[in-house]
Amino acid sequence: MIYLDNAATTKPNNRALSAAIAYAAEYFYNPSTRYAGGFEVSAAIERAREYLLSSVAGEKYALTFTSGGTESDNLAILSAARRGNAVTTMGEHAAVERCFSELKQRGVEPRFAPLLPDGRVDGAALLALMDEKTSLVSVCHVGSETGAVNDIAAISKAVKQKNPRCVFMSDGVQAFGKLPFRLPDTVDLYTVSAHKIGGLKGTGALFRKKSLALGAQIFGGGQEGGLRSGTENVLGILAFYEAAKDVFPTLETDAARVKSLREQLISALDGEFYTRLSAESGTPYVLTVAARGMRGEVLMRMLWDRGVVVGTGSACSSKHPRSRALAACGIGEDLLDGVLRLSFSRETTDEEVLIAAREMNGCAREFSQATAR
Amino acid sequence: MEKVIILRYAEIHLKGKNRGYFERALSNNLEKSLKGLRHELHRLSGRWLIAAFDESKAEEICERIKKVFGVHSYSVGLLTDSSERSLFEAVLAVAPEEGTFKVETHRADKKYPLTSPEVSARLGGRLLNVRPRLKVDVHTPDSIVYVDIRENSSALVFCKFERGAGGMPVTTSGKGLLLISGGIDSPVAAHMMAKRGLSVQLLHFHSYPYTNEGAKEKVVKLAKILSPYTQTDRLTTVKVTHIQEEIHKKCAAELNVTLLRRFMFRIAERVALLNGAKCLVTGESLGQVASQTLEGITSSNSVVKLPVLRPLIGFDKEEIIDRAKAIGTYETSILPYEDCCTVFLPEFPATRPKISFIEEEEAKLDVEALVEEALNSAETVLL
Repeated sequence: MIYLDNAATTKPNNRALSAAIAYAAEYFYNPSTRYAGGFEVSAAIERAREYLLSSVAGEKYALTFTSGGTESDNLAILSAARRGNAVTTMGEHAAVERCFSELKQRGVEPRFAPLLPDGRVDGAALLALMDEKTSLVSVCHVGSETGAVNDIAAISKAVKQKNPRCVFMSDGVQAFGKLPFRLPDTVDLYTVSAHKIGGLKGTGALFRKKSLALGAQIFGGGQEGGLRSGTENVLGILAFYEAAKDVFPTLETDAARVKSLREQLISALDGEFYTRLSAESGTPYVLTVAARGMRGEVLMRMLWDRGVVVGTGSACSSKHPRSRALAACGIGEDLLDGVLRLSFSRETTDEEVLIAAREMNGCAREFSQATAR
Repeated sequence: MEKVIILRYAEIHLKGKNRGYFERALSNNLEKSLKGLRHELHRLSGRWLIAAFDESKAEEICERIKKVFGVHSYSVGLLTDSSERSLFEAVLAVAPEEGTFKVETHRADKKYPLTSPEVSARLGGRLLNVRPRLKVDVHTPDSIVYVDIRENSSALVFCKFERGAGGMPVTTSGKGLLLISGGIDSPVAAHMMAKRGLSVQLLHFHSYPYTNEGAKEKVVKLAKILSPYTQTDRLTTVKVTHIQEEIHKKCAAELNVTLLRRFMFRIAERVALLNGAKCLVTGESLGQVASQTLEGITSSNSVVKLPVLRPLIGFDKEEIIDRAKAIGTYETSILPYEDCCTVFLPEFPATRPKISFIEEEEAKLDVEALVEEALNSAETVLL
């Protein structure tokens, strides 16, 4: 099987799993307990926390473990946007987009900034939507459907210049552990997920400026400094840590290699059928294409039967067949139904992308022959 | 004193010499529906009695019985000996606390020392003494306490009649094959035919990879909701992808659906005959969609010999939805899925296709080979 749906989830990193499994089997103690076993587990969690913090952020940040990217987004948005209005982009994952819709119910006006044709947010338009009443601006680091990389350092700086009291957050789920970067001081909140980099589903984290006070959304035993109660997902957290230790040392070389894979794949695709949607400047890990006049979902199933696994868009929103984000970039109707998202991992090989391209061409040919009249 | 459930049957009493056949079918069905719950099923004259069950399971037994066609009504009551003392105890247990009431006694045991009116009067009188908030009203009482004295010096005492599913015992009308897409209508059609004694098998068409596996999962779910009513035990799925592709490629676009339906009916007839089904059932309702016109129905009917039953033909969508909700299939039916890929849907399907035109277009296809090929893709899921 050739797995090219790594933006939906990655195959768990075996080494990380086996390193973490001891904490599910032997060191199963509740980290909140006061005997040696419990201390040992809570010390392991703190090691994980420190490593993950140091991987992208400096001293000024703290990290809260959550059940995943979606919970991190909810925690960040619902507690940071308390009044006035909040601004985000039209290229966000549903976890952010739906939170903004929810804000409306809570008396905070949501505002959505348009995208440029390459999928990045239109920075000028974003700033124009802001005013002195804006309490939160949220811009994803990498668009999950477009692969576009927003320059969150520059955007956050401009946002802070316009309104220093405004909180800036970024959904970093598709960037963390993939793109080499450090969190600039102007980013207050940053959300990440473990299962996009070889960790387990059900684990995520929120990076937050220590100076920023957040309100809990889940109440209980006061874990995670009271910000996120509930006994810690020890196995998930430690698998996250181990997976991160594997990806961070080679981030730059991996990204460069994956970029060349992406370019090999696009150049091997038959231009008669496929149109490239994601920009070259986007993340190396995502390639979005559209098969003109075809159905992405049908192609996806044909490819599955041939042993090539691809996505059609953001997997979490695959119940809504058309991509909001891509439509917002101005992709035409004739292409929107035929969208395929190919996403890579550091494990993807040259051979795999070439086979995938060959099968994609074959499926498209078959589809167009079967449905031609 | 023992808790029992008394069942009365619906139309079977209309039957003459083959009444035994219907009664046996009903008792088989009752046994099937109560499978896994300890019980005894006794036949009384004109009724059934469920006894010897775990009293905490009475509600579950009633829930299951409600889905057995052929049961007109049922009552949860008490089985006791026929001494006046025991009768009164039982009456106390089932009678209401307040309102108007009367006691109605039937006496099969004609040797019983009191007549029926005497029994009613004495039990009613004693009941009035201990429940001051009760009042007698023999004409329009709020509740009636029934006392049924039987020949073997036992008696049944009960108060409420609950409505059963009605209809005829499933299997007494034979077996039918339902064409099921996963939408709202076809499960309702299955339910209605089962009410008339038909056991219903299912046939689902898919066109993978143009449609996804979700539709099949949905049909399996629907089948599980239906089977207590319909005794459905298998689902056959047939892939019609190639047929759709061929029609799309070679025939007039407006006939796309019309032609596909003819193929579906042909395949359904073959599957029916293989499974011993003697009719096809569909959820079509006249005029609901382009293919459900008189001309559309004529076109599909003309390729099969088996009768095609369409119990919803005169129903409005709203009526169908109400029934689907009552049966419990609605929530599953409305889950999103694609039963047909829009790639193949014509912009303007023909609503009144002429049979000569249909046949002319169909002649461009190798009908027999395509039917064979589709049948070879048949898979059967035992539910």
